[in-house]
Amino acid sequence: MTLHQIIPGEDTKPAYNYAYLDEQTKRMIRRALLKAVAVPGYQVPFGSREMPLARGWGTGGIQITAAIIGPDDVLKVIDQGADDTTNAVSIRRFFERTADAKTSEATDEATIIQTRHRIPEAPLKAGQIMVYQVPQPEPLRKLEPRETETRKMHAWAEYGLMQVKLYENIARFGEVTTTYDYPVDVNGRYVMAPSPIPKFDNPKMHMSPSLQLFGAGREKRIYAVPPYTSVRSLDFEDHPFRIQSWNEPCGLCGATDSYLDEVITDDRGGRMFVCSDSHHCETRRADGHRGAMLADASALHLVDDKQAKDKVSKS
Amino acid sequence: MTTMIHVENVAKTFTLHNQGGVRLPVFDNVNFSVEAGEALVLAGASGAGKSSLLRILYGNYRPSSGHIHITHAGRAIDIVAAVPRTVLDIRRRTLGFVSQFLRVIPRVSALDIVRDPLLARGVSPDEASERAKAILARLNLPERLWHLAPATFSGGEQQRVNIARSFVDPAPILLIDEPTASLDAANRDVVVDLIGEARANGSAIVGIFHDEAVRERVATRYLDITAFRKAA
Amino acid sequence: MTQHVSPQDLGIDPDPLLSVTGVGRFYGERIGCADVSFDLWPGEVLGIVGESGSGKSTLLRCLAGIDAPDAGEVLFRGSGQPLDIYSVAEQDRRRLMRTAWGIVHQNPRDGLRMDVSAGGNVGERLMDRGDRHYGKIRERALDWLTRVEIAENRIDDRPRQFSGGMQQRLQIARVLVSEPKLVFMDEPTGGLDVSVQARLLDLLRVLVRDLGLAAIIVTHDLAVARLLTDRLMVMKDGRVVEQGLTDQVLDDPHHAYTQLLTSAVLSV
Repeated sequence: MTLHQIIPGEDTKPAYNYAYLDEQTKRMIRRALLKAVAVPGYQVPFGSREMPLARGWGTGGIQITAAIIGPDDVLKVIDQGADDTTNAVSIRRFFERTADAKTSEATDEATIIQTRHRIPEAPLKAGQIMVYQVPQPEPLRKLEPRETETRKMHAWAEYGLMQVKLYENIARFGEVTTTYDYPVDVNGRYVMAPSPIPKFDNPKMHMSPSLQLFGAGREKRIYAVPPYTSVRSLDFEDHPFRIQSWNEPCGLCGATDSYLDEVITDDRGGRMFVCSDSHHCETRRADGHRGAMLADASALHLVDDKQAKDKVSKS
Repeated sequence: MTTMIHVENVAKTFTLHNQGGVRLPVFDNVNFSVEAGEALVLAGASGAGKSSLLRILYGNYRPSSGHIHITHAGRAIDIVAAVPRTVLDIRRRTLGFVSQFLRVIPRVSALDIVRDPLLARGVSPDEASERAKAILARLNLPERLWHLAPATFSGGEQQRVNIARSFVDPAPILLIDEPTASLDAANRDVVVDLIGEARANGSAIVGIFHDEAVRERVATRYLDITAFRKAA
Repeated sequence: MTQHVSPQDLGIDPDPLLSVTGVGRFYGERIGCADVSFDLWPGEVLGIVGESGSGKSTLLRCLAGIDAPDAGEVLFRGSGQPLDIYSVAEQDRRRLMRTAWGIVHQNPRDGLRMDVSAGGNVGERLMDRGDRHYGKIRERALDWLTRVEIAENRIDDRPRQFSGGMQQRLQIARVLVSEPKLVFMDEPTGGLDVSVQARLLDLLRVLVRDLGLAAIIVTHDLAVARLLTDRLMVMKDGRVVEQGLTDQVLDDPHHAYTQLLTSAVLSV
């Protein structure tokens, strides 16, 4: 049952428009999106609406999704890499109810993937659309508080100051310590905030076959990276950009090439590293990949893994 | 002989605007020339305007009227009408001013001060150092002072550094204001010799010397400027 | 006998670096500065002196590309064709100000990034123009810190940990690292102790001479003008009342106001 069916009204006439936003607003957002796609990395202002959830919970991303979603779409929502956290579940349900959308946790089934903090580990395909929730769209904001000035800096590609920030990092810590929302150069023109994804995910944006859309609800900005567009992480010739790496594989699925979260397992210093992309990890386990700590994790009810449980009970 | 300085109808009057606009005429109708190889000594009582005239020749004071043609780079140029950077170029290459006071530059050694004009004229650093050391030695400046900045030197020592700087590579025209004022007899002799050598090498010299003995030894000609005093 | 001899005939630079014609800025009825015209040649140092409120800082802001004048034009001949700095696109003017020009502010806080290390402050202009080699940027920053007499081990300290004199020297290094052709300085020794001033002045004098910089220095301190400048413009009530060689203007002032200024000083 969907929201517009259960709200009482005249006969079956829905109380809400399809996908919550009215058609004029969607059109306005689509116009902004077209402009954003035409000028990769450029922040397009848009008339951000009030949404039935607090700002900071992804209202920018939700408005974009609402403007592009249709009845044939399959929506996946990621929060911190997981499909099952509160925010992801709420947003998924919101579109199930307001847009009759089919939802999925499988990356390759989704046509729209709305995300906060991660890009899925599975490679994206042509025809898929990534929708990023963005808290602060302006990569220069912490360096230059004046909006009038940052606009000029973007307009004329005056990006020396951005480089000064990286210089400061290296001077102080020997390396660039920015680990998420790491600034990128889009299409050799605009410097862009990739939203708070780990820098581990930055290379996935480069020449991606998918369309990538970014929405900042509170800051009222939309920007985009069209398919097959160059996205280069800023660096120095002698301090090239590097992604994070871990000394051990995922404790559950044994993956050595995914982004890992550290999980504290007890109060005696026990810990394990697991894939932050929950769907990726599950898929690998279903395919038979086994991590070193899968049995322990299962025993601790950290994962619901029948085979592992069986193994534990047998032993 | 080459005329190095030609002064034509120069007059100078100071107007003190903040003291009721009082006008102080210094001199009027000054006309003279100085040839290369000459040493013209300005004579006249104290307050007659000798120093003012010297400063006018240097382009430091601006005459109220008249012209001063200086032979610079093979041309006669009116320093009164010249634009500032031309005046600076004339001073850099043609016109030297030797005063009794050294403009002390903090933290620059005596040797570097003396070497500087040679370097500016393209002499190699090694040769410049050799020539600078030679003239400092000749002026009896103790070697231990050469590498120190002259700010703490005595008046006489500073004066010798200043003279060394002016005579290490004498300009085609030298304007000299009391160079021997606080020097002992031996050093005074060295200065007189230096002036003589510069003149022998073709420099035109205009100077003020209070010490009569020095004056006698330096001068090839006298100019009494009392004659130019304005009839007030 | 005397023919008219222009500086060109003597082999001095043929073209002025900066040509200022009829520049004026007005605040309603009040004159900020008016009818200012002059040329500045490469390597020349021009002083602008006058009391507070005489319009010298207003003029400097017009010349330096900060505030557009209401009248007149400012032509800059950096390389090749002269550029009217107020008719070119703002983008070009900004680029000019970050590369071929430099501005040294009276208050170092206006010219430094206080939250960025000394090395980052000096390196910014290099990164602005596209330098992307950390090691080389740092090497040049170190070289410049040394030239302005800041110890190498302070390279990663922030300006707020520096004394006033050091901050000012850092500001100078930050500006000169891009090897500008023209530098504007507004009371560069303004808020400093006398002894610190002397050191800074000496440093400026040496740098200006060694780099062949052209500079325009606004100061109310005639001793500063005497030490650093070749030429002087005296301003009063927004207008230039006297100009000429620095030693001429100071030793033989003609205008009543200049005489007042020079006589008000104990010894310059």
